[in-house]
Amino acid sequence: MYKGTEGQWAFFLHRLSGLAILAYFLLHVISISLIIFGEEAYMRVHHLYDLWPFRIGLIFVTAGVAYHAFNGLRIMAMDFTGKGVAYQRQSWYAVLAITALITLYTLFKNIPRIMGGY
Amino acid sequence: MNITVKILRFDPEQDKKQHWENYALEVAPTDRVLDILHQVKWFQDTTLNFRRSCGHGICGSDAMLINGRNRLACKTLARDVVKEGGTLSVEPIRGLKVVKDLVVDMEPFFDSYKAIMPFFVNESPAPARERLQSPEHAELMAHSSNCILCACCTTSCPIFWANGSYLGPASIVQAHRFIFDSRDEATQQRLGLMNQNTGVWRCRTAYNCTEACPREIPITELIEQVKRSVMYGQA
Repeated sequence: MYKGTEGQWAFFLHRLSGLAILAYFLLHVISISLIIFGEEAYMRVHHLYDLWPFRIGLIFVTAGVAYHAFNGLRIMAMDFTGKGVAYQRQSWYAVLAITALITLYTLFKNIPRIMGGY
Repeated sequence: MNITVKILRFDPEQDKKQHWENYALEVAPTDRVLDILHQVKWFQDTTLNFRRSCGHGICGSDAMLINGRNRLACKTLARDVVKEGGTLSVEPIRGLKVVKDLVVDMEPFFDSYKAIMPFFVNESPAPARERLQSPEHAELMAHSSNCILCACCTTSCPIFWANGSYLGPASIVQAHRFIFDSRDEATQQRLGLMNQNTGVWRCRTAYNCTEACPREIPITELIEQVKRSVMYGQA
């Protein structure tokens, strides 16, 4: 593994979260299109999403979307201003902190749903 | 101090793939990695291959992956990368085909360099003395004219590892040197080259290039300046 610093990991996580979001959207397209096989098939698959592994997955999705969105703003700041480049390290830690806060809030909200019931 | 030097070796006439070889050495903390490689080659294993020329951080021949980061072997002191009893790892730079041991094929790297028209273009008649430039204009290209084309930056770039057609940071820095030269007249042509899909837009700001540069050129910052020049059509 190349010993890069913050920038390398910011890039790596951005790619990873981007791919995860793409996979999540594709799953949406596939599961919604199941309606062509009738309501019963559609509902049978959609009930699966109430199972706990999917609810844990939701926390990861939120983390991925939050990271990708805020790091995207960081990249825009770098592309459009010299200041963005000068403070790229600090801004990455800010992105991580915001992502952690959003993820913790989602976790807090989702624990009852993971334990069972809505 | 006593250290182990771990070198990623490859002999195309014998080996199918690269393999590590260890050498036990006694070195001074102020020895450069280049001195250590010389010790291995001169006193332990004469078959070791690596490039070096000036040995003073100017020619840019001895870029290597030293302890996981691209550095010039002649500008890296042992004490900065290894402790007593520790291991120093040396690998060839990544993304270019290994010819033998630490020697890689630099042709694709120089092809990218040639692609950005790395020469001064000014068709207007030359003045009696020199083409003058203000200190402010000279400052714009002060960093990019420091590049020694060692390839530390380009071969530390994750985008370049995955996509060899990307011109890479070194070529963009060279393009920056001419784009921001107030006396040069081929600015639009070079901005056009930078705007192609092998140009600046492949940069995903991973900053490995900036960290790796032995000349301390703020490479990512320069690439971003070129991006903005392409975007706003001004330099």
